[in-house]
Amino acid sequence: MIERRPWLTLFSHCILILGIIAVALPIWVALVASTHPAEAFKQGVIPLWFGDQGWITWKKVLFSAAGNGVDVPVWLMMINSLVMALAIALGKIAISILSAYAIVFFRFPLRMLCFWIIFMTLMLPVEVRIVPTYKVVADLSLLNSYTGLALPLIASATATFLFRQCFLTIPGELVEAARIDGAGPWRFFKDILLPLSRTNIAALFVILFIYGWNQYLWPLLITTDDHYYTLVMSIKRMVSVAEGDIAWNSIMATTILAMLPPVLVVVGMQKLFVKGLVDTEK
Amino acid sequence: MAEVILNQVGKTYPNGYQAIPAIDLHIADGEFIVLVGPSGCGKSTLLRMVAGLESISSGELLINNQRMNEKEPAERDIAMVFQNYALYPHMTVFDNMAYGLRNRGASKDEIQRKVSDSARLLGLTDLLERKPKQLSGGQRQRVAMGRAMVRHPQAFLFDEPLSNLDAKLRVQMRVEIRQLQRQLGTTTLYVTHDQVEAMTLADRLVVLNKGHAEQIGSPLELYERPATTFVAEFIGSPSMNLLPVSITDQGLQLTEQVSLQADTKERGAVIWGIRPEHLQPCSESEADFALQVKAVEALGAESLIYGHTAGRSELLVVRAPGPFTPAIDQMLYLRAPQQQWHLFDINTQQRI
Repeated sequence: MIERRPWLTLFSHCILILGIIAVALPIWVALVASTHPAEAFKQGVIPLWFGDQGWITWKKVLFSAAGNGVDVPVWLMMINSLVMALAIALGKIAISILSAYAIVFFRFPLRMLCFWIIFMTLMLPVEVRIVPTYKVVADLSLLNSYTGLALPLIASATATFLFRQCFLTIPGELVEAARIDGAGPWRFFKDILLPLSRTNIAALFVILFIYGWNQYLWPLLITTDDHYYTLVMSIKRMVSVAEGDIAWNSIMATTILAMLPPVLVVVGMQKLFVKGLVDTEK
Repeated sequence: MAEVILNQVGKTYPNGYQAIPAIDLHIADGEFIVLVGPSGCGKSTLLRMVAGLESISSGELLINNQRMNEKEPAERDIAMVFQNYALYPHMTVFDNMAYGLRNRGASKDEIQRKVSDSARLLGLTDLLERKPKQLSGGQRQRVAMGRAMVRHPQAFLFDEPLSNLDAKLRVQMRVEIRQLQRQLGTTTLYVTHDQVEAMTLADRLVVLNKGHAEQIGSPLELYERPATTFVAEFIGSPSMNLLPVSITDQGLQLTEQVSLQADTKERGAVIWGIRPEHLQPCSESEADFALQVKAVEALGAESLIYGHTAGRSELLVVRAPGPFTPAIDQMLYLRAPQQQWHLFDINTQQRI
């Protein structure tokens, strides 16, 4: 739509700029605060320009210890978070693409029942089943392990459902052509289904990576060894110190670092992500 | 290259619906058979049964004298061209054509050679690196054919391959398909609902109606001696004029006033058929009967004239050569030569 209404353009730009300020200002403040000494915040004035402590704070946070009762450096927690987020995202994609494949392309007894059972797990997120899941994980001695962090979160009804919808749009003739061309179930999956759902996989990966990265309750529950602490839960730990001063500069630096990987994933996969949501290649 | 034999092949769906009761068809090596019929007559089902995409409920399918009923589509060594082409959208033209060969474990050199041979034959050599999205309808159609040809299968199966093309391209591809099939000599089974396509392509035609083969024969045989009123109506455009009449000792009673001389032993009620092109406009004195013109379609090379004859409600069609435009409501005098008549039994609809 092309319209020439200068006032409307100006107005909408104002709204957009206000929106950007509302979203970006806290991030700016966090970035600035991480370069001031910890006491700067207590004076009640929020500094808006960089201080001179940035280098020291960032080095300490990244490589020695995050501080405020968290004794591991942020880079280790980043790796923990990254392992968990990647395991959750890739695991969810792998398991749901396979179950969607089975549900859409194979005729087996109780097929629809299976689908609805998978669908019903939408009503059972981790928060609802947290006690029994904890019991299972503890019995399997998976506390304080990457497996324990990722595995219980991997089953995904949403992703299964999305892949199912994507597969349903693949024309039946394509499946038949592949059968005549001698492609068995595995070849069809590998050569045709996977490439055709490439963009959907990318879009889901972005969403699921962020979901995994932002996990808070579950890692908090099953990790007691700080070598398995994830970044997001540690920030909370750093804020809630019992005595002494809260090191706001360290917390802000950690927060900025915690934001980076999801931002990188979104920016890096933006093109594929948008394509996956709107594309109809089939 | 092989014989395809259908012995009493039938299809009954699990819900009890009988799509095809039983069909016998013997397709000779290298023959081009067209299955034709209105939608819902079971022609696609029959083709898909030969392909192995639908199970065969009864009877037996033989390709090259081997029973194929239980074989997977890939094991039957057939190739199919679909109506919407079903090209793999993410693969290049080359990969589309090579996929079947790769799955059969052909060597790289062999794939390269076979694909480029077929591509050359179809004029696709310059398009091998493109994706289906970047091709026109006709080019996609050609790639679909290339994908079928490249394996040198025992038989080609075509499922209405030209219906997605525009009229001009359809005529062009029709000629091309026929030439290619002759050149390759591959046994072909071709499904269409378009009787012009059927007539021009087929060595033999199978006219299907509700799962029955109404008639099997060469296109001209079906045109000249349709076995039933269904075939008579289906083959030829515009359709044959069919009128229920009675034959008495005075001749064929077209209406109460008009009777045509008939040299036949038949008596009683019959269906009288005559093709539009065999009704000849003539002068009043030579005429067998007259038609009151209701509509004229002048197509240049020929004219179609629709009208009633006095005392009957059926609309008759006359096909006159050249531009010929009688005025509406004018009387058109016609001759109906007896050697061009078709008589059908009024109950069984069978040819007499």
